[in-house]
Amino acid sequence: MSINKNKLIDEIETLKEEFAKTTDKLIKDVKRQDKIMARSDKRQRQEYDELQKKFLEVEALQKEIEDTQKEVVFTMGAIGESRSKETGNHVKRVAEYSKVLALHYGLPAKEAEMLKQASPMHDIGKIAIPDAVLNKPGRFNEEERKIMDTHAQLGYDMLKMSNRPLLKMAATVAYEHHEKWNGTGYPNQLKGEEIHIYGRITALADVFDALGSDRCYKDAWDDEKIFIMFKEERGEHFDPQLIDIFFENLDDFLKIRESLKDSF
Amino acid sequence: MNNLNIEETKYTPKIDLNCEEGTVSIVGKSYPENTFEFYEPVMKWLEEYFANDAKETTTINFEIIYFNSSSSKLFFDLFDLLEENKETNNIIINWLYDEENESALEAGEDFQEDFETLKINLISK
Repeated sequence: MSINKNKLIDEIETLKEEFAKTTDKLIKDVKRQDKIMARSDKRQRQEYDELQKKFLEVEALQKEIEDTQKEVVFTMGAIGESRSKETGNHVKRVAEYSKVLALHYGLPAKEAEMLKQASPMHDIGKIAIPDAVLNKPGRFNEEERKIMDTHAQLGYDMLKMSNRPLLKMAATVAYEHHEKWNGTGYPNQLKGEEIHIYGRITALADVFDALGSDRCYKDAWDDEKIFIMFKEERGEHFDPQLIDIFFENLDDFLKIRESLKDSF
Repeated sequence: MNNLNIEETKYTPKIDLNCEEGTVSIVGKSYPENTFEFYEPVMKWLEEYFANDAKETTTINFEIIYFNSSSSKLFFDLFDLLEENKETNNIIINWLYDEENESALEAGEDFQEDFETLKINLISK
């Protein structure tokens, strides 16, 4: 029997061929797999880059919206002030005082920052007060005082329809910044913590700034006189806790006043 | 044999396999949770179609916006199946892509390169 006739060799030859085919297929498959992975990686990177780009665009737009909102709110506040007897940097100072009070009171930083932006609108209702009353020199009679006091309600009515958090906050500030801790304020004679913290804070910030500033109709009060009055009004006009915060952090308030003082 | 229609979902494409007209269309995103399970009826349908019911011309329209790597593998298998049947069938493959979707165009070009014996038309929408 010659070696060539050995069936076993034929079988092995066949196996060898099959094996070669299988290994070829395996190599092809592995190569394909590698290719798929490489391409997927590349595609995913592109898609990720694209998403990143879109995300940055969204962020920029969001910032644009927030900036616009801040500007609108600040401008509205300035309009309100321009109609009242307050001048210069009053709204800016009230904004800064409010933020400091909010932070020490324990409001979250974001909320304190929002209050800084919303508090300048506390007097926005004054744009609806007739000039004859608003610009009257000297003291108001009872009738005029009543009209003047409607600015809180008017401001609230202007802002209350908004669903924007900042404007909602501004509505609360406008509405409650003349309420007093002891319930003798207006428009609703709210008492203590019935008055929203935003209203309590802005009330103190507003009064502190108004008393400490020169006006065409009055001179600024001395600090000593303001401090005595604040101590007397602790738990009367003002939230006692906020008065305590005010005195504990007096330097901060005086610094803000100095850095934003009016130049006449 | 019956037509096969699968509605689009958030992660899977809309699929229409029509044996009367000889058209196959896969449109949308392909990120199935289990890709091979999802496409199993599609592959089965195609195998049966080419074995028993193929029309003179079969048109395949791919319009894939995004796909994951296992879908990519699945498409290779699908193109393999088309390649196996290309001698006995007239198969037209259209790879449709949005002009702004660069990676969809590139994927089409890659398949063109990998399956030189198939005629894959790249069509910008």
